[in-house]
Amino acid sequence: MSDLKPRCNGCAGEGPEVRSRRDFLARFGGGFGAVAAVHLLAREGFGELPASQPVNPLAAKPPHFPAKAKAVIHLFMHGGPSQVDTFDPKPLLSRLHGQPPPPSILKSEEKTFLQFTKLSEAPLLAPRATFKKYGNSGLEISSLFENVAQSADDLAVIRSCYHDAFTHGPGVQLINSGVFRLGHPSMGAWAVYGLGSESENLPAYMVMVTDGSISAGAPGYGAGFLPAVYQGTLLRKKGTPILNARAAAEFAPGEQREVLDLLNWHNQQHLASRPDNSELAARISSYELAFRMQTAVPELTDLSRESESTKKLYGLDDEITEPFGRNCLLARRMVERGVRFIQIYKDGWDAHTSCDENHAKNARAVDKPIAGLLTDLKQRGMLETTLLIWGGEFGRTPVTDGQANSEVRTSDGRDHNPYGFSMWMAGGGIQGGKVIGATDEIGLRAVEDKVHVHDLHATILSLLGLDHTQLTYFFQGRNHRLTDVGGDNNLASRLIRA
Amino acid sequence: MFVQRAYWPFCWQVMREIFARCPAASWEGHFANCSVLVILLCVFETSAFAQSETSIEQAGIAVLQKNCISCHGDPRISNLDLRQRETILKGGTRGPAVIPGKAEESILYQAAAHSGELKMPPGRARLSTEELESLQKWISAGANWVKTAATVGQKSEPSWWSFRKPQRPSVPEVHDKNWIRNPIDAFILRQLEESKLTPAPSADKRTLLRRVFFDLIGLPPTPEELKLFLGDSSPGAYEKVVDYLLASPHYGERWGKHWLDVVRYADTGGYQTDLYYKDAWLYRDYVIGSFNKDKPYDRFVQEQIAGDELWPDNLDLHGSYYIPEKKMEHMEARLGTSLYAISPVYHESGLDVENYFDMQWTDWVDVTGSAFLGLTLGCARCHDHKFDAISQRDYFGLRATFSGSDRVEIPLVHRMDLFDQWQFYPRHIRLQQLRAEAEKISNQAKRRIVDSLKADLPKETREAYEVPEGKRSPEQQKLAAKFQEAINRIKEEEIVAKMIPVEKGKYEELVKEIGKAYLQTLKPMPTATVLGHSEVMPDVHLLIRGDYRNKGERIKPAFPAALRDENEVIEETALRPLVPQRRKALALWLTNPGHPLTARVMVNRIWQGHFGNGIVATPNDFGRQGQPPTHPELLDWLATEFVSRSWSLKQMHRLMVLSSTYRMSSRANEANLKIDPQNHYLWRMNPRRLEAEAIWDSVLAAAGTLNLKADPLKYFRPLKQINPALLNELGGPPVFPPLSLDEREGGDLLEKSQWPDSLDPNEHTRRGVYVYVKRSFSFPMFKTFDAPDASLSCERRQNTTVAPQSLALLNNEFIHRQARAFAVRLLRENGDHPAACIENAWLLALSRLPTEEEKRKNLEFLFTLEQRWRNDGKKAETVNWLPEQLRTILPARAEALAKLCLTIFNLNEFLYVD
Repeated sequence: MSDLKPRCNGCAGEGPEVRSRRDFLARFGGGFGAVAAVHLLAREGFGELPASQPVNPLAAKPPHFPAKAKAVIHLFMHGGPSQVDTFDPKPLLSRLHGQPPPPSILKSEEKTFLQFTKLSEAPLLAPRATFKKYGNSGLEISSLFENVAQSADDLAVIRSCYHDAFTHGPGVQLINSGVFRLGHPSMGAWAVYGLGSESENLPAYMVMVTDGSISAGAPGYGAGFLPAVYQGTLLRKKGTPILNARAAAEFAPGEQREVLDLLNWHNQQHLASRPDNSELAARISSYELAFRMQTAVPELTDLSRESESTKKLYGLDDEITEPFGRNCLLARRMVERGVRFIQIYKDGWDAHTSCDENHAKNARAVDKPIAGLLTDLKQRGMLETTLLIWGGEFGRTPVTDGQANSEVRTSDGRDHNPYGFSMWMAGGGIQGGKVIGATDEIGLRAVEDKVHVHDLHATILSLLGLDHTQLTYFFQGRNHRLTDVGGDNNLASRLIRA
Repeated sequence: MFVQRAYWPFCWQVMREIFARCPAASWEGHFANCSVLVILLCVFETSAFAQSETSIEQAGIAVLQKNCISCHGDPRISNLDLRQRETILKGGTRGPAVIPGKAEESILYQAAAHSGELKMPPGRARLSTEELESLQKWISAGANWVKTAATVGQKSEPSWWSFRKPQRPSVPEVHDKNWIRNPIDAFILRQLEESKLTPAPSADKRTLLRRVFFDLIGLPPTPEELKLFLGDSSPGAYEKVVDYLLASPHYGERWGKHWLDVVRYADTGGYQTDLYYKDAWLYRDYVIGSFNKDKPYDRFVQEQIAGDELWPDNLDLHGSYYIPEKKMEHMEARLGTSLYAISPVYHESGLDVENYFDMQWTDWVDVTGSAFLGLTLGCARCHDHKFDAISQRDYFGLRATFSGSDRVEIPLVHRMDLFDQWQFYPRHIRLQQLRAEAEKISNQAKRRIVDSLKADLPKETREAYEVPEGKRSPEQQKLAAKFQEAINRIKEEEIVAKMIPVEKGKYEELVKEIGKAYLQTLKPMPTATVLGHSEVMPDVHLLIRGDYRNKGERIKPAFPAALRDENEVIEETALRPLVPQRRKALALWLTNPGHPLTARVMVNRIWQGHFGNGIVATPNDFGRQGQPPTHPELLDWLATEFVSRSWSLKQMHRLMVLSSTYRMSSRANEANLKIDPQNHYLWRMNPRRLEAEAIWDSVLAAAGTLNLKADPLKYFRPLKQINPALLNELGGPPVFPPLSLDEREGGDLLEKSQWPDSLDPNEHTRRGVYVYVKRSFSFPMFKTFDAPDASLSCERRQNTTVAPQSLALLNNEFIHRQARAFAVRLLRENGDHPAACIENAWLLALSRLPTEEEKRKNLEFLFTLEQRWRNDGKKAETVNWLPEQLRTILPARAEALAKLCLTIFNLNEFLYVD
């Protein structure tokens, strides 16, 4: 399975022919066609662009093969929701509640490093939520997500996700970039690098944060070693939604235009004696785009034109569901406006204590909005081409959290668990009503049909029409990929609707 | 006719070829061919083909020596050693390399001929037909071995250029001798002449001055400096400027920053909690200071890798409060090792020490490889390097040189200061006592709140809470914990409100006392965080697929096999207790004057800083995956020159910026553009956009708000007159320019308290190099303009052109604040005279006067805006940013001028250097 890493495909760049081909284009090509070709070559791992190459790095690029999904909405349940309380029913837990894990589980205890918990000393904890079968497919989903469950036949639940970063920062980093060390690009950045932007006036990769903050900080949605232009742009909760994308208060009405006109006049003069430098020309046109962004952003965030029923669908009429619901609705509006990759973070799932209550509260805040998003996208015929991903940076332990010695910590929390957890996907070509993989009898470790983060990434890229082995960037002596040397699990083919 | 046995396979093959081509029915033809064969064999025996047995073997082995041994020799990449027949037959991970007599079936030949899956040598052109033929013949002849010079003990020359020692080339002859100012020009011009390119004419004086100012100190020339230079028609005028700039303390700030990029400098550890490295800035200042004093580069390398092992020392006094200079020097050397103390670390790695060291060592080997060797060693962490002669054993051999080293915090004070700390420690005790008293009162009040809350609790919860801890049933535990959570949520204000007047008075008094007592404690003792040695030296194992939980064989410290001579080994003394010397060995090996990479890599970085592109365009990768040098001989000439000039960086700068090559205009020439559009061969200067920090500095310099924290040096003051104390005024702990409300509240910053705006406004306008580098939140203004991510080595800044940059320079609070400051400066210097203001603005920001047309256009702009503001009387009243002395100026006029200043900050001419 994919935890074996047989070959370092990522390193296997082709040698001399390619290099000379690129050199040829770079040195003697000239002309725009050649320039575009160089850019495509760069994406295919044939080295980086010559630094002076004046190409719009965000120009739309064709996919490697026809895409199923045009856009991705990643619903990031930050903190790590428990799989056994949501999408991975384990009836055994109720039977063995309060008892130590079965001996079969404890056999490889030393390989299951948890943050606060010693497996053999922690009793099993049964979830309070109950599971029911939904839809024609009979997918089992817990009562925490009873609204999402109405779309059960659209969901493909992967119950065998795993990795080995057992804390939040590295976990977020790993889910986003495939590597838990800092410095690597997040999947949104890779997607935009591979496909460019469809939106004239908005960033191609946007991030929204509901409650709290992201453990990894901005590098979590950063561009890593890719050019900064591919990084995620945070839609701000306070002040201007996109940093600086509002005419400064210092401008009198119409004054900014005067500034831009004078600027343009000077810049044109400057360019006239340096006609070969297209970077200067690109900078001139970036001011026009900047000007347009100032109107595009308020237009995006203005929900007044949305109907009351739509707002209700997303739970905007309820103060508990409103924050996440608003972000979900904004995500739909972003997709409509050509944004390629959207992440909505919902912090708070880190239930070291009172897992039942924590999850009830968090699920209450997101269940209806997500269900609304699924329904709305479907009604508008957008679900077919929009991939939804739900999941956290890891799951939680089926045993109680081990911090019982602290006075606040009681026995009904759950610790972090990266060894087995659930995620689901919907839309964007996904065959719904499906379950992939399984965890062991208590839901601790993925055991059947294991799906590594690299496999998820390979799948997401392939739905976007990108071959994860071909989408490479040359850095520090080798062609890097989002999937590093992994992503061998042929998950995509099993998830895609025939 | 006798054909040697060894040739039979070859003959057989030739015959097979002939028979295969020959129509079976045609016996005539067959005979004809047989006679061809006979003739062929005769020829074989007697002429060109008639090689003796040894010559076939020599030729075959020579091919291996030339093309394969650098990886499949000592480094034994893929476990394959092609230096002896036995090891060749044994083969590597893919099995036997050669099947004697069967060339086509041998992996070695297949790989060389690119006929199978494996294609060798990697990243390079296939072997020549002649070489393939020799190889094929040799294998077909049985792959017999003969002793050649190369196989008898003598190490073969590495096949990859950058692994061979630089050879000093002779300076080439060129036609246009007048163009040659120093040897650099000869190398460049010869290439241009060969490529039918003509060098661009010299840049005009003003362009040249601006260029060399930004290049060497990262700041624009002041109008006075410009005037002096333009007015100086003496032959050495430009040389004087160069020497002036190299002597400026701002040179170190500029070039130190380039180095800080390479060593992924940051003030924090990154990840979620983003640990604050309180001493990181000492390393930053160490780097700046090292550049300023022109510390020889070999010493600079030695200090950073092994300052502690090479110059062990302490700060003890010698009979007075005077610390001997030698000791200070040694302490400075030790600061260099902070390079390793600033690596990214995530908080929870402290839970798992093996993971912690794995992360550390990975970063340390990576940064050592990138910064000093210009090699990407990271590839060899999981497996033998696929392109360069670096094996996984080499990688872990380097890792082992860092084993036993760890961060240590050392006091930066002498023993007397240390004793002072102990003497006055009771003041800390006083502080703690006062704090305990205050907490006592606060707890009393808190208890009252708890009691009133408790009264409202359901019966079971109250009872559960009252049962002592440890005696509670599981159900009670849960209830009690929930209540405890509510208690923990009680805020400080609620507690103070609940205090009775006596308590409150006492409490407030105590808080005041605490403040006073705090002021009386000694300031925290200055420390540095550097590399030292841990008590035990952990074994280093080769990690299978790079996984720290999957250990292979134990590896001893060693230098990469392909780069060292056989006698270059890391030896450890048998003396106990052992004082580790592993990093010392590494540092000395790297700075050996004949090291193939160290000097080349550094001169290439300097070249890149001056010309925009390196001679090797990938400064951190001199391996096969990197770009080949555009001027290999020049690179070697510079590398050898660098070493012979005692590794002096300033002399290399001087050489480069005084060359005719550097002085060329950046304007294009149609004919040249057609031949070399990318300017690979340097027929003109590359125009460049300023980096994030240089844009910041330029804005502040024009606005007149730049805080240089040292008197700007007087023009032409010779180096020796610079007061060393002046240099110490640079630097200091990182500064926190205020974030705009959007930047602070927007959500990128994890915790608002993590960016404490500097209280002193003068600190807000320090040079960019001093701004806090926070790994989880890079300063937005810098990030927008491609500041590096600071977790991995950055060999060269990205240079993107995107709308958010334009938005930042149009709308950000900082830029508007500076535009107003610029306007105030102009009004102060030129009074209420728009035309004079415009001229001065142009001089300050662009080092030139505006053309008549530009001036007219700007006056029109000012007039239009002023009218707009006048017509909107209400808005004009809001202009209250003019200082007292300038209140006579019409607000509408000041606003208009500020907008002109803003426009200037946005000009391409402002951001690009010709």
